Amino acid sequence: MKQLIRLTVNDRAHELAVDPSTTLVDLLRYHLGLTGTKKGCDLGDCGACTVLMDGKAVNSCLVLAVQANGRTVQTIEGLETAEGLHPLQQAFVEKGAIQCGFCTSGMILSAKELLDRTPHPGEPEIRRAISGNLCRCTGYQKIIEAIKEAAR
Amino acid sequence: MILPNFEFHEPTSVAEACDLMARHRGKARLLAGGTDLLVNMKKKVLSPGHLVSLGRIPELSRLERSNGTLRIGAGVTVSDIAASDAVAAAAGALGQGARALGTPLIRNLATIGGNIGSARPAADLPPSLLVYGAELVLAGASGERRLPIAEFFKGPGLTAAGDDELIAAVVVTVPRGFYGAGYLNLGVRKAQDCNIVNVASFLELDDKAERIRTARIALGSVGPTPLRSLKAEKVLAGEKPGEQLFEQAAEAATRDCTPILDFRGSAEYRRAMVGVLTRRTLAMALAEARSRT
Repeated sequence: MKQLIRLTVNDRAHELAVDPSTTLVDLLRYHLGLTGTKKGCDLGDCGACTVLMDGKAVNSCLVLAVQANGRTVQTIEGLETAEGLHPLQQAFVEKGAIQCGFCTSGMILSAKELLDRTPHPGEPEIRRAISGNLCRCTGYQKIIEAIKEAAR
Repeated sequence: MILPNFEFHEPTSVAEACDLMARHRGKARLLAGGTDLLVNMKKKVLSPGHLVSLGRIPELSRLERSNGTLRIGAGVTVSDIAASDAVAAAAGALGQGARALGTPLIRNLATIGGNIGSARPAADLPPSLLVYGAELVLAGASGERRLPIAEFFKGPGLTAAGDDELIAAVVVTVPRGFYGAGYLNLGVRKAQDCNIVNVASFLELDDKAERIRTARIALGSVGPTPLRSLKAEKVLAGEKPGEQLFEQAAEAATRDCTPILDFRGSAEYRRAMVGVLTRRTLAMALAEARSRT
């Protein structure tokens, strides 16, 4: 039986009827059309589906849409403002931290949680913060440089 | 990957959750952080007809330090335990285990109750809870009971909790005096990994901080449940702490485990690493105990 949920995604309120077996990543991608959140392993291993839920970076493939009822979700689409790209997005572009791009939105959201909490992290903290996000292009060094740049 | 169909329940109190578990006895599973259960459901290892979510029960997410006890609600997330000053001061090895678990993304979802209740032999939190002598508050349809965590684990995925019971809280009685503990885990990677071996050690020194009054050692990933190493503890009790003694205790610990051989490591390697981690965590425990003098 479908359940009615209300949640805020990127500052927009939504009211939707969802099946309990729908995950948050599927809600975002298939119900709301927000395909910036990627679906990789779907088992909480790769971090491609990372979003911020109430400010915390989580694997959206391991959250049921019904569990997100009443919560605030931020996806990669919510980072850009009228002034332009978010500093993290800008740094990823400038530092060449994007290769195939599949891990990028997850990397940026994991980095955002870190910088929201610790504006000037050291390299070990940066490495720890993205340790749940896999980059199959193995472009980690550029990603770390981009996060450092955004934190300057 | 498609989740099997289930009916979803979101109780707002512990009593209501226990009633739901009793009503759907044997057909329902508790959903906490979901980092273990939802993966097993996607892999079709489990397909419960009912999920009882614990995410809307406020009392489960409280962490309190009072009257010499640390009471951690079962719904407190692993990242909150990792960042907690109260945990770091009273039960540092538990914080070390929390920081070693999974990834930041998993830690933001996973809960202490889930890490215990799923009863995985390689779990990161049980060894330190065992050496601190933690107790579980189990709530059921007919009331509450307390159980030492040592009596909770019955096998991989098997526990002493009844069908209608849930872990409401974990209670650590904070030791007085000169005590310390350490936790270490060994994997192939530093994150997103299943442990090959994980060990927690606890030492309490006598009033002069000269001899060991109490020693407790727990070994993870080398048996069907986390195991206490009574042989190693016997080596340590009443003795003066030091490198040579810790070496003997470490050797004893290697004789107190039943490791398996799998793709992560051979049984011999695991046994050898039990010794290494026991020695190192004893050194961590001693350093912390001496820092309290």
